[in-house]
Amino acid sequence: MHREIRDQIEDVLAEDVRAASQREHLSHCEECRSEVRGMREQTALIRELRAPEGFAAEPRAGFYARVMERIEADGPISIWNLFIESAFGRRIAVASMALALLVGVYLVTSERSAEDPMLAVQQPLAGQMEQQLIVAGEDGPARVITQVGQSSAGQSSEDAVLADLVSYQEQ
Amino acid sequence: MDGSIGILPFPIAGEGTRARPRVDHKNSEEAALVRRVQARDEMAFREVVERYQSKVFSIIYGILRNRNDAEDIAQQVFAKVYFSLKSFDFRSSLLTWIYKITVNECYDYLRKKRVRKLVYESDFSQEDAQRMEASEPAVDSAVPADTRLAQRDLILKLLSKVSEEERTLILMKEVEGHSVEELAGMTGLNENTIKVKLFRTRQKLLKAAGRLTRAR
Repeated sequence: MHREIRDQIEDVLAEDVRAASQREHLSHCEECRSEVRGMREQTALIRELRAPEGFAAEPRAGFYARVMERIEADGPISIWNLFIESAFGRRIAVASMALALLVGVYLVTSERSAEDPMLAVQQPLAGQMEQQLIVAGEDGPARVITQVGQSSAGQSSEDAVLADLVSYQEQ
Repeated sequence: MDGSIGILPFPIAGEGTRARPRVDHKNSEEAALVRRVQARDEMAFREVVERYQSKVFSIIYGILRNRNDAEDIAQQVFAKVYFSLKSFDFRSSLLTWIYKITVNECYDYLRKKRVRKLVYESDFSQEDAQRMEASEPAVDSAVPADTRLAQRDLILKLLSKVSEEERTLILMKEVEGHSVEELAGMTGLNENTIKVKLFRTRQKLLKAAGRLTRAR
């Protein structure tokens, strides 16, 4: 919109265009005319939000008493109302609860796995090494031998492999 | 319309703008009433309620068109006024401040009920629509009630796209019929600022309407 119209837009919308220059501008500027038309249409729509004429704008008798009842029921606004009443606050509260739940579940399960020997056996502990050996035979299928042992005790795992090879030859 | 919409480089310096003395909201009769409420004078609060209840009720009814909701929200507005009046800073008139709370409460209500459509799909009964049609001297009486309700729904949606301040200003201008001068007096802003804010609001509404139309 051109400044000539923009500066006087309230008068233009009220169709109180006194200056000839503005009338002249509107008569040949399609851009301004179109925008003014859009604004006028919206103004008419906004005016639809007026209470109808003749509407008895009085609440029912005893309104003040009901307001006071509500005030007593509501009490002063607390910080918690921010979380309870606003959508953003509610989302923060839900996210915090979900996070707390996740952390709780993680802590409980990690403690349980540390204490429970059955769970502990299922997974190699830190410092232990899982070894898998594939033993290929000439006339038998390949076999996989899994060994779990201390990485420092390399000797014992070697023995296990040799013992297995011996038993394989015997078969 | 082109890409220049939304660009307003500096405040309007209109020829018709007059420098008016700013209204002193701190030293009015209304300010004295507010101070009494702030000092927990219950009679003063009663006076505030009685003075503004009709105004508040008609603002809410104008937006929601439901008497029961209007009553309920009006109670909520005055409860908020009661609890918040201690932080009222006298920068605007009490009416402007209450008006803002009222419009915000209406929009909170609309938001909570996810209402835009419900406004006319469930809250409005057929009887309401007929009464509205019969009682209102409509802008265009040839427009059927359901179309007008849809238009109201649209404008409420559009108004939700602008800031609280912009919404309050445009409603005070177009619904309450206050002039720019009066708005300047009520808000404590100068006339040029009011004009700029109104213009920007109108442009935002136009843009929002354009986006909504394209999305449909």
